[in-house]
Amino acid sequence: MTARAAKRRGRFEPATWILLSPWILALVVFVAYPFGFSFALSFYDYSPLNPAAAKFLGLANYAEALSDPLFWTAMRNTLVFVFGTIPFTTTLALGLALGLKRAFRGRDFYRAGFFLPTVVSIVVISLVWKGLYAPEGPLSALAQSLGLVPPRWLLDPNTALASIMAMDVWAASGYYMVIFLAGLQAIPEELYEAAALEGASSWQRFRHITLPMLKPTFLFVLVVNSVRSLQIFTEVFVMTGGGPLHSTVTSVFYLYEQAFYKFRLGYASAIAYLLFSLTLLLAFAQVKWLKLEGPKS
Amino acid sequence: MNGLMKRCALLACCLLSLAIATAGCGNAAKSKKEVVVFWQFFPAEQIQPVLDEFAKQNPDLDVQMEQLTWQSGLEKITAATAAGNVPDLCELGSTWFPRFASQGALADWSDSTAPLATGMVLADMAQVNGKAYGLPWVVGTRALFWNKDLFAKAGLDTTKAPETWPELLEASRKINALGGGIAGYGVNAGERYVLFKKFMPYAWGNGGTLLTPDGKGSAFDSRANLEALDLLLTLAKNGRVDKQDQLDEAFMQGKLGAQISGAWLFRKIPKQAPDLHYGVALVPKPAGDHGTHASFAGGELLASFSKSKNPTGAWRLAKFLASRDAALMLCKANQSVQPAVVGAVADVYYQSRPNEAVMVEQLASAVPTPNHPAWLDMESAIEDEVEKALYGKATAASAISAASKRIDELAKTTEPAAR
Repeated sequence: MTARAAKRRGRFEPATWILLSPWILALVVFVAYPFGFSFALSFYDYSPLNPAAAKFLGLANYAEALSDPLFWTAMRNTLVFVFGTIPFTTTLALGLALGLKRAFRGRDFYRAGFFLPTVVSIVVISLVWKGLYAPEGPLSALAQSLGLVPPRWLLDPNTALASIMAMDVWAASGYYMVIFLAGLQAIPEELYEAAALEGASSWQRFRHITLPMLKPTFLFVLVVNSVRSLQIFTEVFVMTGGGPLHSTVTSVFYLYEQAFYKFRLGYASAIAYLLFSLTLLLAFAQVKWLKLEGPKS
Repeated sequence: MNGLMKRCALLACCLLSLAIATAGCGNAAKSKKEVVVFWQFFPAEQIQPVLDEFAKQNPDLDVQMEQLTWQSGLEKITAATAAGNVPDLCELGSTWFPRFASQGALADWSDSTAPLATGMVLADMAQVNGKAYGLPWVVGTRALFWNKDLFAKAGLDTTKAPETWPELLEASRKINALGGGIAGYGVNAGERYVLFKKFMPYAWGNGGTLLTPDGKGSAFDSRANLEALDLLLTLAKNGRVDKQDQLDEAFMQGKLGAQISGAWLFRKIPKQAPDLHYGVALVPKPAGDHGTHASFAGGELLASFSKSKNPTGAWRLAKFLASRDAALMLCKANQSVQPAVVGAVADVYYQSRPNEAVMVEQLASAVPTPNHPAWLDMESAIEDEVEKALYGKATAASAISAASKRIDELAKTTEPAAR
């Protein structure tokens, strides 16, 4: 029984419910319940070490966050990260997808190669790049051999965040490349053939066929990548611990510190919900933006 | 693809049910003995022999050990405390300990530990508001690591390490002048919970303090602390500012004259730089006629929770683990920590290892962090401001006074204890 057939009949078979129950259960226990519980927590002074002493604070946690300079530093760093990486990640991923779409010798090797960072743990990637950025590391040696004074990378408050961002663009592009590849392959070949017959140049074909047809893919890539980037944490945790001088403290890193080093779970939850609102807003704006210029049929 | 995923899901379900079934069997077979659940951070191959020894002496107890990781262990303990699903005995780092103790999460061990206190190094580490909530297990400190070859190259005395601030400054200046990527001294920055441990030894050694004696205000804004920060800034000028693992790396490559580091190097150096010609010495003091060779003292405590199911079993295990022989057994396997019992240095093991013996000697003048519930915030305050001074964003004086203001606020607004 397919889901569509079940829907046509207006109800699910009992077997459908039985088969779905592990997933529904997991969703309720591991997503819905924590989601609601942390929302409730955001109105409390709550320490996990002494849950019995929780105090209701109303909106005080939210008010504190909005007047906490470090919260704003974290928000600013997070937004710099999001807007500073996504254009590059998207362009690079699309470029790779276009380049690796056509058949050529060794294509699968390159596809697998660019996708590889996706299957490697981000902790491993961060540790490797921490080594690359080390003052004795290969990147500094390269700069020196070119006669440049190597930047201090992760140790300089002016370059630390940018260094992590560069790594992220490299690590994330492969995944979105695969999504773009799937999108490209879904474009009917006849469109290109018809355009070629009409004498359209390759740029015109790209601009008027590929880009509009990829719109749903773009939307998916942008939304998913924004949501992921707004939650950037592991890289910071492994590579800089938020330093130097708070230049790499991101929202999730900050709320993690509040929750698990300072045991302020209520305050951390309030920060999480502020970040959640921002994520929602951004995703909504992206959906709107891409819909406004829909493909003209 | 779909079929493959279904098969995978099916396989996962089978494995899960198998795991649940076998876990049930395991518990049933062992249920005759009294269970002590013990969470700790040491690698299994280091701690298991010690636990085997305990099992021999205590056949009625079944210790179920779980190894936590430094990345996620604190989260796990925190979540378990919130859920009331705590182990019987748990290893807690000395910087986390006051929060757990002051919020009523830990069992009061004052009566049990009192007779042992005189035999303990840094017994105060377990004290919060006059009560003992744990047993010091192993302790660790930081000392001065210096490269004898670089000292020779710079024309310095290689028979003895710098003992005072002026000697240390002179050495780092001369070594830094050697050039060729060689730095005189290593100062920590760019990561958290490290810089503090490298700055405060000089401050404490100069008579500086953090809090007023009653713990209700800051005593950080002092001439002693300012002089220590001035020293650190001068050392940074005659050296390099970097993360701990990079400084250790540079030291092992023979590119760093001196740094304050920890006993973990005793395991690393023989593997990665067996030919390194280095020495370990007490942290230099301000001058020959005043100050002390202070350092940072941290450690691991054993504690039981107020909601633990088997408090007597937990205490029996804790008492065994903290005993001289058991602690020495672990420390010899681990090499980064020292036993928290008085007189361990007399063990023949340390007589054949002079560098590790310096660590034990350094413990005598090492200072533990205050057991204040807001301690981690205070530590962050100091690190933030000292780092600003290191990066030239604040003067030494303004950094010290800014840190002091934040500490004072924390000391005044945080309730000292929940009970």
